[in-house]
Amino acid sequence: MIDRKPSPLVGGATEAFVHERASATPGNPVLEATSSADDAQAQPPLVASVDRLQSWFAASVTHPGLLSKGVLADGLLSRLDELERVVTRGPRLGALERLGVYHYGYRARLVECLADDYPAVQFALGDDAFEALCHAYVERYPSRSPSLNAYGQHMATLLATRAPAGDADAAPLAFLAELATLEWALVEVLHAAAAPVLSLETLQATPPDAWPAARLPRAETVRLLRFDYPVNAYFQAWRTDQAPAIPEPASSATVVYRHDLMLWRLDLTPAMTALLAGLFGGETLGDALTHIEREVHDADELAEAERSVMIWFREWVAGGVFAGIELPPSEGATEVN
Amino acid sequence: MANRFGLPNLGIGLGLRTVHYGHILENAPDVGWFEIISENYMQTAGKPLWFLDRVAERYPIVMHGVSLSIGSSDPLNWDYLRELKALRDRVGARWVSDHLCWTGIAGRNTHDLLPIPYTEEALAHVVSRVREVQDFLEAPLAIENPSTYVEFSGSTMKEWEFLRALTEEADCGILLDVNNVYVSAYNHGFDPDEYLAAIPYDRVVQLHVAGHTNNGTNIVDTHVGPVLDPVWRLLGLAHERAGGASILLEWDADIPPFPVAHAEAKKAERWITGVAP
Repeated sequence: MIDRKPSPLVGGATEAFVHERASATPGNPVLEATSSADDAQAQPPLVASVDRLQSWFAASVTHPGLLSKGVLADGLLSRLDELERVVTRGPRLGALERLGVYHYGYRARLVECLADDYPAVQFALGDDAFEALCHAYVERYPSRSPSLNAYGQHMATLLATRAPAGDADAAPLAFLAELATLEWALVEVLHAAAAPVLSLETLQATPPDAWPAARLPRAETVRLLRFDYPVNAYFQAWRTDQAPAIPEPASSATVVYRHDLMLWRLDLTPAMTALLAGLFGGETLGDALTHIEREVHDADELAEAERSVMIWFREWVAGGVFAGIELPPSEGATEVN
Repeated sequence: MANRFGLPNLGIGLGLRTVHYGHILENAPDVGWFEIISENYMQTAGKPLWFLDRVAERYPIVMHGVSLSIGSSDPLNWDYLRELKALRDRVGARWVSDHLCWTGIAGRNTHDLLPIPYTEEALAHVVSRVREVQDFLEAPLAIENPSTYVEFSGSTMKEWEFLRALTEEADCGILLDVNNVYVSAYNHGFDPDEYLAAIPYDRVVQLHVAGHTNNGTNIVDTHVGPVLDPVWRLLGLAHERAGGASILLEWDADIPPFPVAHAEAKKAERWITGVAP
């Protein structure tokens, strides 16, 4: 259900969603000791350039299957028993087990990053299915950036294009893609630059006859999201430990924004959505207001919209939703915050 | 003996972690300095930088990177280096460090600290790249010994020989992580004291300590939990030989409340004055 109260703070603050990279190694499964070095038959080291060794190493430890297949994947080695020509066994573990720390760590680190970005998707899917999803993600979207801050940006795309296991899975995948869109919007808003926003004083100082031609662009720290499922209601129920079930389809819209360092989620009525979408799309306030009449056919809702539109604006402006107000040049002003 | 670069001894510091932002800004704890993971403040213009700016107003900051990939055969990433330098200048970081490792090849970043074959070819490669980076940063780079889990069969020198040769030929600093020395010594069967004896201490600008996870068959550098006594002992040795150096505790898994991490870091005082607990 959409909360039709014009309260801007539906959903409350969201404080998580920062993935921290560390120089640590993910904890590994405990490995059984293998034969000691005394048993080893000395093999001459394989002579290869640094570049060649690194290509082999990367192909091995990023291999999505068994490491024993990964070490043979790029052709440097043709047989597993040649492995010690490249990396040595240790005092307690063989060469393959030792290399396995990197093979395990590669995926574990990236899965941990995605779990930090998508805790609600993880809850909705369950841990095992989420991990399988993340493994597919890591395979399809290897990182090419020094930072992990934007690593998770493709999750909604992956979910939307992922072949469902059967007809029964199709609806949950569509829902999960929308849930991922909401969670990624929170990450984006957290990392967005804070810039001056339209103030209540400026809004109130704008003469009424200038309003129809005014434009109110979106602030950098704001995202308007439209869904086929009640995504934010699900997210809020998860946040408050209500263990929600996957919902049935029902249109919803949510605006996500950062204000005073807090992240907020506000559910929108269809009238609010039509108005904000028009404004964020660059229309004048006059044009954007006409969307309400075109898209809202319920007489009661239309009447409430007419009564409440000024209240909405005051609350949106208080939340820092608009970057400023732009007036036509003929009005003698350009952009004011 | 202080380090040859004239970089200050900042005392005992902690790795800056998100869960501690609130405590630090509200309570202004008596910490010598904070170390940041550089990449956590890249690709962002928002909240993380806001907190970092506030912390940097009150404390010295040192930058510790995980994606320089100084040992990679890929070209240096100049976009990364420009962002690194801009961040250094923004927060007035006292110095910049990264690891003796590579993190990827062919443009793919594994976000892991991968081991280098310790050969003459690799040495010449890393020396030239450290020089390039230092020229760009217009400051000495501190290179940290990593925890490693394999060694290359074709290596012709020990890690400590490679590190010494690298830092002398490239004229760079050392961030000596005594926990990593302990971890790698266990995993490869060498004597950590032999490693420490080979370090050119006039190049040591910083020391790291951390907890680790001993699986019996190997040790993993998890940065979890308290620092173990054998690691504190190595810290005491290294600190004495360096004639004092900035000390930093890394705690990255199951991160406790700030006062717990801070108390753990302050245990260093007992080991660097020669009085064991």
